[in-house]
Amino acid sequence: MSHAAKPVGRFGFAGMEPTSAHLHRLSALLTLILLIMGFSLMAQSFFTVNNAMTVLLQTSVIGLLGLGLTMVILTGGIDLSVGSVLALSGVISAMAVKAGVPVAPAMSLGVLAGAACGAFNGFVITKMRIPPFVATLGMMLIARGLALQLTGAAPISRLGESFGRLGNGALFRVIEMQPNGFPRVIFPGIPYPAILLLVTAIAVAYLLRRRQIGRHIYATGSNEEAARLSGVRVDHVKLYAYTMSGALAGLAGNVLMSRLVTAQPSEGVMYELDAIAAAVIGGASLSGGIGTVTGTMIGAFIIGILRNGLNMAGVSAFIQQIVIGLVVIGAVWLDQVRNRQ
Amino acid sequence: MSQTPLVEMIDIEKHFGGVRAVDHVSLNLYPGEVVGVLGHNGAGKSCLMRILSGAMIPNGGEIRVQGRAVQFSEPNDARAAGIETIYQTLALADHLDAVANLFLGRELKTRFGNLDEARMYAATKDVLARLNPNFKNLRDRVSSLSGGQRQVIAIARAIYFDTKVLIMDEPTAALGPSETAMVADLIRQLRAEGIGIFLVSHDMHDVFELCDRVVVMNKGRVVGAHRIDEVDKDDVLSLIVKGELPADWSARNLAEAPA
Repeated sequence: MSHAAKPVGRFGFAGMEPTSAHLHRLSALLTLILLIMGFSLMAQSFFTVNNAMTVLLQTSVIGLLGLGLTMVILTGGIDLSVGSVLALSGVISAMAVKAGVPVAPAMSLGVLAGAACGAFNGFVITKMRIPPFVATLGMMLIARGLALQLTGAAPISRLGESFGRLGNGALFRVIEMQPNGFPRVIFPGIPYPAILLLVTAIAVAYLLRRRQIGRHIYATGSNEEAARLSGVRVDHVKLYAYTMSGALAGLAGNVLMSRLVTAQPSEGVMYELDAIAAAVIGGASLSGGIGTVTGTMIGAFIIGILRNGLNMAGVSAFIQQIVIGLVVIGAVWLDQVRNRQ
Repeated sequence: MSQTPLVEMIDIEKHFGGVRAVDHVSLNLYPGEVVGVLGHNGAGKSCLMRILSGAMIPNGGEIRVQGRAVQFSEPNDARAAGIETIYQTLALADHLDAVANLFLGRELKTRFGNLDEARMYAATKDVLARLNPNFKNLRDRVSSLSGGQRQVIAIARAIYFDTKVLIMDEPTAALGPSETAMVADLIRQLRAEGIGIFLVSHDMHDVFELCDRVVVMNKGRVVGAHRIDEVDKDDVLSLIVKGELPADWSARNLAEAPA
């Protein structure tokens, strides 16, 4: 049996993206384009560089959460705790800053706290054999309670300008000083959160496609027993996915709190549902084994653009909920119809 | 057979609560030998095979591979010792393709630790071509393949990695006639290569055509272990159903022996 490396034409995706998933993503992408076109006609200020950057900024938090959830959902699990973990991580970073820790290590501490919450989820699921829904529901309450208890339910403000840099800074921002002394923004720049999202998305895609752990994540969600019998350490894989989800929730929490330059212990309520919706709209299957980073990113942008565009069109927040709810159901329904064919 | 057995299972025991699934069973397998493991559902044969494949940990007893005592706490341990299993369910990850399934749990990596898709693809192509020259869908997810093709992948996975012992659990139950013939040919070929095979089957035709010995289990115990030329189908059925040979067996065998 030859181990000789022969170049082959088509490799790398390892069949994880069969035609139906391709189709789903294509239709999601089409939906996204239609949304952009529709909103551009409805509101003049929608299709502008400024607004595009705003959408990028708004989507980055849901996008980061969605990336973590994609990994968890691929294993056949679910993580309901990311909204609360996001809040707890932001609070811990802010408390560290208040305690005199410089911003970068303080934020790392927050991300670590998120990873620890995720690892706890993974432990409860794999060692105590608690179903993911219940385990992460518990963590959702625990992390939220911790965040509120640590802060006495009061926001932590006056964190300093450097705390706000991650959430409010931008690359290539072009500002012109006007004669009257006020600055004029020529190009708002690419927000740091958007760059962070892009880098993270590429990293997660790389993990899922090119690394053994990614292959094992797909295998675990596809057929857990088969994966186990094939020598995949299923518990290890799950622990990894939940820890990553927690860490990414921590990262998202730091982005969000940095943007507000305030740590809000009550932030991020129901964000987990937006993140799950992003993954599902992007073609991820809640029964595991199917889903891609690109799909989830498209899903996150569909939600982000819907929110932003409906806002610009003056649609109330209540109606927005209804619309997004219908989109989630519609996306999954389309997928079901396609699979039945 | 004077050579060292490939596998010795000595006094293996497994119980679930008060139920003795495997009750002090001892069993040997020699190189180039096909041993049929028979018994009705719940007789303990699957349990015994799962213990040998590392998927189940026994409560007592010893396993030796080529004379060396081993302990399997997970399937990877058994695979490392050269024991491969083809499960009745095939144990394939449906959303992955043939290449990913063949190397699942044992992925080849590049120097940088990335998945070495080129090498895995080439190797899969080689081994599948040996089993079924018509196999072209290496990059299709295996859920879209036919039962025969899925079986070929499961077999390819079991024979690719320096296999000494092969456990086949109902390998032909889901196959059509031509595919069954292919599996039978393969078993003969592997036997000729010196691989030892445990064949778990309900199919008497397969058993009598392929096996050198049969071992019959009933209620967790081995109730009969015979060379295939010592017994006929009725004898084996009697062992499976009643747990004993027909009353006239020894008389018949003595009478036949001189001839």
